[in-house]
Amino acid sequence: MSSRKTYPPKPLFLERMKKLLGKDFDNYLKILEKQPVNSIRCNTLKIKPEELLIRLENKGWGIIQPFKNFPEIMIIKSSLQPGELGRSLEHLLGYYYVQEIASMLPVLALNPKPGELVLDVAAAPGSKTTQIGAKMENRGTIIANEVSIGRLKILASNTERCGVLNAIITKKDGVSLCKKLKEQGFLFDRILVDAPCSGEGTIRSSNVTNLMWNPKTIIQLSKLQKSLLVSAIEILKQGGEVVYSTCTHAPEENEEVLDFVLNEFGKNISIERISLPIKCRPGIKEWNGNSYSKEVENSCRIYPQDNDTEGFFVAKIRRIK
Amino acid sequence: MSYIKILNKTEKARIEEQLDKQFGIKTIPGMIIMRGEERLFLFSGNLNENEIDKLEKCTFIERMGVYFAKLVDGKIRLSIEGSQILKEQITKNIFELNSSQAEEWMKGRELPIKTGVNGFLIMKHKEDFLGTGKASDEKIGNFIPKNRRLKERQQ
Repeated sequence: MSSRKTYPPKPLFLERMKKLLGKDFDNYLKILEKQPVNSIRCNTLKIKPEELLIRLENKGWGIIQPFKNFPEIMIIKSSLQPGELGRSLEHLLGYYYVQEIASMLPVLALNPKPGELVLDVAAAPGSKTTQIGAKMENRGTIIANEVSIGRLKILASNTERCGVLNAIITKKDGVSLCKKLKEQGFLFDRILVDAPCSGEGTIRSSNVTNLMWNPKTIIQLSKLQKSLLVSAIEILKQGGEVVYSTCTHAPEENEEVLDFVLNEFGKNISIERISLPIKCRPGIKEWNGNSYSKEVENSCRIYPQDNDTEGFFVAKIRRIK
Repeated sequence: MSYIKILNKTEKARIEEQLDKQFGIKTIPGMIIMRGEERLFLFSGNLNENEIDKLEKCTFIERMGVYFAKLVDGKIRLSIEGSQILKEQITKNIFELNSSQAEEWMKGRELPIKTGVNGFLIMKHKEDFLGTGKASDEKIGNFIPKNRRLKERQQ
């Protein structure tokens, strides 16, 4: 019999989380011990939520739709065999996508519409691209970009399984792609920058993140994230919107990045308030002696203990001029 | 050099004509993109050809839209997605599977069924469209890709 090796959080990581959370730190530690919930997103390009619900209930699965306005989001209450969600006929036919609820939030914030031109800068494995496709009802165009060839294949496989007809999949590093798109005169209605990050929010489902966590990586990622977001804002239409998201709590990868672009673009952009169907905490204004613009408070910090999800960070930036 | 080809009106009409002959499908809702000699993709995006050319100047295009059909000796075989996307228009050469046949089908197995047909059939179980099979005298050949197959039940 084999047991999976687990890695404890590093002391510096815990120290940082304690500083971020204060009195709530113990609740955070408790939720890390709890198994994450199984959630799926009904792929409305192929089936209606009410039809999928009946099919899954007929299989004996207990289903909850936690948000009245988003019936496509479903939680499986029954205990399932490992991998069962990915092996069902409904999954193989593309009727749903296995996706953590927190990971669905950036696209809810982006709120893409049919007919628009949308860029997904770092698209693999495709959870958010397929969600964008569903929101757009396959009308308009999504450019779904990914730099890694291995992840590109997973992206293509997922967009195909979900029947996303309006996506063009490209391979380039995000910063270079945005520069080239700018040279060719492309301007987008909406852009998703779901940035590569240190993944602190995914510890519940991916314990190996504890092993890989490293403060130097956070600094390197922060630089990359700033370049990505600046490049993306430059190819937004006037009135267009970028959603910037990460699955990490590190302020260097979140509020610091927003503060950087606010300094870069001044009054040409604003950080918009967003309404999400779960508990969000405002972005923080200070971290490790650095203070950030008050506008970063409009961003959303999603902690695992608040909603029994993974951790995420979501912000929406609007191009004014 | 581009390795994707957007079919022109005449080429698209030829595909539609063949789909009509085989399955009663009249119209393909979007651009048809060809990769290689036989793989057809359906793209419903609203970029025009000029904009797609511009995009190709920016980056390598890995894929446009969804793989929906394959040309096989002048005939067309629809993928799972092809059969789902075009299901409203499919009026002929449909083979209705019962539940146990559907399970075998989705496990990737050929079905030992004499249909009296030689050629491609759309496989359907209740409301699910499950791609295309190739009927011959004694069986229906299966093309469900490995990554879309049901696994054997655990004992």
